[in-house]
Amino acid sequence: MISAENFPEYNVPGVVKHDFHPYESNGGSVVAIAGDDYAVIAADTRLSSGYSIHTRKQNKLFKLSGTTVLGSTGCWCDTLALTSLISARMKMYHYLHQKVMPTNAISQMLSIIMYHKRFFPYYVSNILAGLDADGKGVVYSYDPIGHCELASYRAGGSAGALLQPVLDNQIGLKNQENVAKDPIPKEKAISVIVDTFISAAERDIYTGDGVIINVITKDGIETRNVSLRKD
Amino acid sequence: MFLTRSEYDRGVNTFSPEGRLFQVEYAIEAIKLGSTAIGIRTPGGVVLAVEKRITSPLMEPTTVEKIVEVDRHIGCATSGLMADARTLIDRARVECQNHWFNYNEPMSIESCAQAVSSLAIGFSDSSDGGSAMSRPFGVAILFAGIENGAPELWHMDPSGTYMKFLAKAIGSGSEGAQQNLQDNYSPDMTVDDAVELALNTLKQVMEEKLNSTNVEVMKITPEKLFEMYPKTEVEAVISKLQQ
Repeated sequence: MISAENFPEYNVPGVVKHDFHPYESNGGSVVAIAGDDYAVIAADTRLSSGYSIHTRKQNKLFKLSGTTVLGSTGCWCDTLALTSLISARMKMYHYLHQKVMPTNAISQMLSIIMYHKRFFPYYVSNILAGLDADGKGVVYSYDPIGHCELASYRAGGSAGALLQPVLDNQIGLKNQENVAKDPIPKEKAISVIVDTFISAAERDIYTGDGVIINVITKDGIETRNVSLRKD
Repeated sequence: MFLTRSEYDRGVNTFSPEGRLFQVEYAIEAIKLGSTAIGIRTPGGVVLAVEKRITSPLMEPTTVEKIVEVDRHIGCATSGLMADARTLIDRARVECQNHWFNYNEPMSIESCAQAVSSLAIGFSDSSDGGSAMSRPFGVAILFAGIENGAPELWHMDPSGTYMKFLAKAIGSGSEGAQQNLQDNYSPDMTVDDAVELALNTLKQVMEEKLNSTNVEVMKITPEKLFEMYPKTEVEAVISKLQQ
């Protein structure tokens, strides 16, 4: 094998070796909950790199259509590349098929776009929330190479592992005895989401500053803002 | 017309001074040599019926395949050059599966017709490498399908033009058949009514006597999607017509 190690005479002091670091983690968390006739998705607004904060007001929710919102965190430049590709593909679909792309079609397309970069993936944590063809709330979560899973609630991003157990308990009613499994009202879902972000901001340095919440119903997408701790 | 046509009907890429593409027009004429095919849309589903020309008693009639399944929700009837039809049907099938793979939803009938039409008009397209088809396809297609629970019927001709119809006839008997459909179509007819109307129309325009081996019938409904009529059921409808 011909490699640099076989030629020690080239290994002289002063030679600088450049490693390839294509990825960066810019942090951020996303939480989404689906109800019978709504879907709520929220993301914090801090964008950081190591111990530095780039901005405290970065929206990480992307309105893809009147019924679908994508929350995307991880390597921010990958998020930007991915979301602009998605919106271009959605425009092409609209022109070709003369209809707005439904949530379930977006979920499949996103999975395939991600898997197409199986060996140099987009370093992003995606959660897609929206209404399906029947107006029911749906949440799809993804891994960085495009595995897609339909769920009713999901947390992702830098504090995903902190937030998911809270949702399991409060929304999924896991490890609780004698509880009525009633549908979660919209306002309850929103307040649980705000609570999870307050908790995450206490422990995760990459989550904080504020939360942007998108509430998706048949009447449209409503945006709400909540402040988080800024240290 | 025949005078001015001279010399301008050779190339597929040359308009005549009156702005016509004769090779495309000839291709449309080629359909009129093909066997008759009929499509009827009703609120309960779409019916396709075609004539099969059995040119020899030694021929196996089931190998003449003029109605095909493109996807579970789309069926096609073709008239014209059968070899050309296969190429177009193959494209329709691939496009439908591709759409399902990419978007996890059935392809719309119009989009399917659109995809086939772009192949049909690609006969002179040699820019994207590979050998181009050097002439227009001599095929007309009827697309019957179910979209969001609603039945639809589309027709495409060799020029790549596609349009939505309530009832449409193509092939050699199309003029008489289309007139008969126009006279007898009603918007509230049932699928069974449509099968009867289709076979009755075929009976009037076919040269041979209508029987269960020289016709093919298909229905596509929101409940069961693509279904070919078995021979016994075709026989039942034909005997009903004779009463």
